[in-house]
Amino acid sequence: MTAARLLRIELRRNAMPWILPLIAALFWFDSYRPSTTQSAFWVLRTFWNMGQGHTIIDFGPFVAGVAAWMGSRDGRRGMGDLVAGTPRSRWAAQLATWGATAIWAAAAYLAFVGVMFAVYARQGLAGSPPWWWVAVGATAVTAFSAAGFAGGVFFPSRFAAALAAFGGFLAMVLSSQTGFGHTSGWALILPTNSNGNFQPDSGILYPYLPDLPIARIIFFAGLAVAAVAVLGLPARAGGPWLRRAAAVVALAGAAAAGTAVWLAGTARLGPHGLVIPALHDAASDQLTPYTPVCRPDTGVPVCLSPAYRRYLPELATALRPVLAEVAGLRGAPSSVAQTAATYSPGEVALGQGMTISGRPPVLGVPLGALNLPGAFGSTTAELTGQLQLLAVHVIAGAGSGAGTPAQQAVQAALLAGAGTPFAAQPGALTNYGLPSWAQADLGALTEGHQSRRGPGAVAGPVFAAAQRLAALPAAARHDWLAVHLPALRAGHLSLAQLP
Amino acid sequence: MNVQITEVTRRFGRTQAVAGVSLETGPGVFGLLGPNGAGKTTLLRMMATVVPPSSGSMRLLGRDPGSYASRKEIRRRLGYLPQNLGYYPGFTVAEFVEYFALLKEMPAGQVPRAVAAAVERVDLGGKARAKLRTLSGGMLRRAGIAQAIVNDPELLLLDEPTAGLDPEQRMVFRGLLRDLGQRSTVVVSTHLVEDVGAACSQVAVMNEGQVVFHGTPADLTARGEGTGAAGDAPLERGYSSVLAAARSSLAARS
Repeated sequence: MTAARLLRIELRRNAMPWILPLIAALFWFDSYRPSTTQSAFWVLRTFWNMGQGHTIIDFGPFVAGVAAWMGSRDGRRGMGDLVAGTPRSRWAAQLATWGATAIWAAAAYLAFVGVMFAVYARQGLAGSPPWWWVAVGATAVTAFSAAGFAGGVFFPSRFAAALAAFGGFLAMVLSSQTGFGHTSGWALILPTNSNGNFQPDSGILYPYLPDLPIARIIFFAGLAVAAVAVLGLPARAGGPWLRRAAAVVALAGAAAAGTAVWLAGTARLGPHGLVIPALHDAASDQLTPYTPVCRPDTGVPVCLSPAYRRYLPELATALRPVLAEVAGLRGAPSSVAQTAATYSPGEVALGQGMTISGRPPVLGVPLGALNLPGAFGSTTAELTGQLQLLAVHVIAGAGSGAGTPAQQAVQAALLAGAGTPFAAQPGALTNYGLPSWAQADLGALTEGHQSRRGPGAVAGPVFAAAQRLAALPAAARHDWLAVHLPALRAGHLSLAQLP
Repeated sequence: MNVQITEVTRRFGRTQAVAGVSLETGPGVFGLLGPNGAGKTTLLRMMATVVPPSSGSMRLLGRDPGSYASRKEIRRRLGYLPQNLGYYPGFTVAEFVEYFALLKEMPAGQVPRAVAAAVERVDLGGKARAKLRTLSGGMLRRAGIAQAIVNDPELLLLDEPTAGLDPEQRMVFRGLLRDLGQRSTVVVSTHLVEDVGAACSQVAVMNEGQVVFHGTPADLTARGEGTGAAGDAPLERGYSSVLAAARSSLAARS
């Protein structure tokens, strides 16, 4: 009851609300607004602001500064004697002050994120919100408040707030720098290490993996507990039992943070994200069931997750001319279905190709791994180019490599038949987001004449063979593929065997 | 005896702030007079259990403040107004007093009534909802006194309580002191000799960290009679006479 009354006074007279308008403005301009340029998926929009840690960057330094201001209050105001002459332990009084500061900060974070999510929901984003990232952010903000408050208590001065805010900002800068450079190991624990956060189909085709967020929550909670417990160590903080308890709690907090760092170091790549064996729940690996939406009118049925419904026309239009070239052939796909994008350790999941599997063969399209129009400035034309390129590559049987010269030539001929002239193909192979084989293909097609200014001219034997194949009437080309496609896909054809 | 101090000293580095003070006092108002740097504030801080003595022994309210449990119990029954009163500018008068009532571990149910009573006693009832930053220096001092008396303390320590109060408020405050002294031990450190004459039943004069006089205000007045000591009032002349004697004694020893 007494603690509640103390907390009520501290909540009413806390300085945190004064800084919230500034944080709100920053949140709007830095976290929300840039995210709206991304495609309308929860995972993409929130990766921009939460996955990359922008929401924490917007809050953290200011929260640390205000918390330091509150922590230094007694020292700045000359309240030491007055407070020391009361029976309640200094630590308990400080806990009330910090508690109010942390409640304001965390509540504001949750409120701002809540409003942003409500706006996203009204915009009809596909997928589901990343609740684990929200929990990480709220815990991180709490940890910033604890660290700032402790700094203010131990170094009370009028500069405490500015110094703590600058320290928080510096920590964020270092965290970002380290995070961008590390795709594994202890650095995954850092709040702005987005390398652990980009999971293209999370919340759509499979759940967000909670492993890394749980480790981060343990890390920040441990830091917060340790920082607050350190306040109970000085002789003036309270009685001997309380100080011993504070020491134990501080050690426990530090141990928790250390354990979380160790756990992050054990993370390994899984298809849906970073897996921490000690924290992993196999249920998180299950694909989310859905009823596909299909376009049966394209000759070859094209089906997608309902979340990607808006891309169905583009996908069907892009694949129609390629699939028409091989329609009815043995081993050629008789339908198109969406496959889950697999996790990439980097910021952007690049380089995933299409697959052909099953009987009858199904062309698997990892649409979530592609640069969808709107995301990172991509256009519909670029998506079409990527889809056709990936399709001819897998149809030619080139797999995850550059393929044989014959396979490269057939690819080029099929692309030309689908509407991409030879002269434009080198440019198409430089599209951002293609697997690494694209560059090797480019080299073969232009016979090593790549320059820093561009891909160079189309030349050489691969180009010549591709031109011969493309020059055949469509029916003749289809007949040739009917005979040779299995051998081509097996890598047994040479350039000379092309017509 | 609520206060028993025996040969207490306190050093801050090379500075001897209090040099072997012994005092005893029970209920009533006890005045502590002395020039700047005499050691009054340090003695009060030790009595408030804010700083421990370097040597000597203290018993406050029958307990030894050297042990944590006793110190905590003393603090529950203590009221303290420091010389330099810090305050939280954003708090209202009522919140400030309530805050210290809660830090003094008063039962939560008693706090609202005790806060209202303390604020009324210092005549700040009309300003209970005013932010501290809007108050004058005298009003702030009264808010400080309100927080000191909110727990109805058995030992009340007031360091320069009338500094900044206007003459009318000082008269009201002296009445309050006399009233509090009926039930509690009130130790008042002050420069203002007339406060002692008007409100105190006992008085001690400190100089250079030592008590150089201990008696009633009448005894102090008697010390000044016929000495030709400086002062406008008899008590002031007694105070001046005691100080002059102490200084000449110190000079003779050195």
